[in-house]
Amino acid sequence: MSVEAQQGIATPRIPAGLGGLLPALTLIGLFFVVPVLALLLRSVTDPSPGLQNYAALLGDGTYARVFFNTFLVAAVVTIVTVLVAFPVAWMLAIMPAALASILFGIIILSMWTNLLTRTYAWMVLLQRTGVINRALIGAGIIDQPLPLINNLTGVTIGMVYIMLPFMILPLVGTLRAIDPMTLRAAALCGASPLAAFRRILLPLSLPGIAAGGLMVFVMSLGYFVTPALLGGTSNMMLAEMIAQMIQSLLNWGLGSAAAFILLVVTMALYALQLRLVGSKRAAGGA
Amino acid sequence: MTQAFLSIRKLHKAFGAFTAVHDVTLDIPKGEFLTFLGPSGSGKSTTLYAIAGFQDPTSGDVLLQDKSLLSVPSHKRNIGMVFQRYTLFPHLSVAENVAFPLRVRRRPEAEVKRKVADMLSLVRLENFAERLPAALSGGQQQRVALARALAYDPPILLMDEPLSALDKKLREEIQAEIRRIHRETGVTILYVTHDQEEALHLSDRIALFRDGRIEQIGTGEDLYLRPATDFVAGFIGNSNFLAAEHLETVDGAATVRLADGSLVSGINANGSFQRGQKTRLMIRPEAFRLDQGSNGAKLAVEIVDVAFYGERRRIVARTGAGQEIDIRPTSTALAAQDVASSHRPVFFDPGAAFLFPA
Repeated sequence: MSVEAQQGIATPRIPAGLGGLLPALTLIGLFFVVPVLALLLRSVTDPSPGLQNYAALLGDGTYARVFFNTFLVAAVVTIVTVLVAFPVAWMLAIMPAALASILFGIIILSMWTNLLTRTYAWMVLLQRTGVINRALIGAGIIDQPLPLINNLTGVTIGMVYIMLPFMILPLVGTLRAIDPMTLRAAALCGASPLAAFRRILLPLSLPGIAAGGLMVFVMSLGYFVTPALLGGTSNMMLAEMIAQMIQSLLNWGLGSAAAFILLVVTMALYALQLRLVGSKRAAGGA
Repeated sequence: MTQAFLSIRKLHKAFGAFTAVHDVTLDIPKGEFLTFLGPSGSGKSTTLYAIAGFQDPTSGDVLLQDKSLLSVPSHKRNIGMVFQRYTLFPHLSVAENVAFPLRVRRRPEAEVKRKVADMLSLVRLENFAERLPAALSGGQQQRVALARALAYDPPILLMDEPLSALDKKLREEIQAEIRRIHRETGVTILYVTHDQEEALHLSDRIALFRDGRIEQIGTGEDLYLRPATDFVAGFIGNSNFLAAEHLETVDGAATVRLADGSLVSGINANGSFQRGQKTRLMIRPEAFRLDQGSNGAKLAVEIVDVAFYGERRRIVARTGAGQEIDIRPTSTALAAQDVASSHRPVFFDPGAAFLFPA
């Protein structure tokens, strides 16, 4: 039925559309396709034709560690973001709509606040003599300041904070579609709160977790500002490495190759998610 | 008292200043089909939710076989429930929905399989086991919900307006299913509805709720033929209320003067009345006849409209005092052209009429 409907609409549009699409196609080609191709070309021609840039990146232990670290940070950030976002999203999904929209406003306001400002704010909070360490020492909970900055902890805290809205928004959409009565029904069926969460709420919210999780993971893979300011030299991420290669070492070939690898990984993850979500949809519609 | 299977003791529930349930006390024997009937906001659902454990009562108690349920969380009450909206788990197949309560109870796989098959055949959905809920009609989904609620042999089944989302034909079909399943399983059912026909059709007894109290509890016949108050008379079945002045009551049989000046005696008096007190005389539309019979009281009316409704005629008539009343004699009583004559008397048995305070 949908195929017919699509054809019915699409058939008269195609001839007229092609000409009309030209400006858009030109724009996309000029500003998106050409640069990516130039990047790819650069990575296999600079300084000389061949795959030596890729060989260097994939063969060298130092670079491999940066790749590993990039995926580690992205994975940790994604997992922590899901864990923090879920209860918030659930609360937003079940609370009265008027109150929820105020809280949504606050979350979105934080998204609109300058990224650099928010990251510097975390520096102030997390550093050795920062607010958090002073408060903890003042309260007598710790003697020595906790190492909260220039390491994985700092990067994770800063990035989770920035990524939360990207996780909460899709998740609230998914959770709102779940009838709270379903959970009451599960309780009367004998499911403890934990069993109801594991067997009902979690499976039903998986599409939202997958959508938000992928977005957070992909954004985290290429993140620059927060890891650069809150991370340490020992856990450099790919974006920082690319910046160094191009800015300091002026090695455009190597930088392009690294950027291209990141792009391919991101696209592969996106394709994977499309397949997973796509097959879920098909099963749901059967 | 102690032989009651489920016992509700002085149940009270207040939401802030609003009291939803006022000291409701009720004993339900095992195997009974009891319906909570009443308009919306009358406290019937709140009472049901207190039994389910979704709402803690302000005071009072709910006892199952003499043990209080209040301190038991919902998931340990072992109560079955069917909800107004279909609350099937959308990601699980029909069979897995029915299996869910057994799986969370960690029953052996062989037992789960056997029980799911039994339940699906009970609700006649054997061929739908692998479907997802979204691929079922509303009526089918509600039957799956019924199977899921009964899969663990709960001693009590709660049903919260389970048919209100279905169209009339489906409602009647599922009502028959519910009656059959009650007969076959012997489960004690507490059923909430605002539909009096549904209540009359399904229940052993009906508790009619009004403003958080039980106005009357009894069989459908009790409520219909012997209403305790004018609210019951007005809620169950159709009724005409005529203004009347009470003259005297002898052995429960009252004599009144109607607004047109005519006297009627031999009426059921609900309560005691003063001489000259203003009262309301309730007469069912179908209690009116067009022929006098042996002991019919007479009421002079003007016929306003006559409509044919199959087994009965529906007549709108105006009394001498100008009040419109609803009369439903059997169609065979008189030919239509005879009925339509403008001014005529109609008759009713005073023993089937009730007197209530105004």
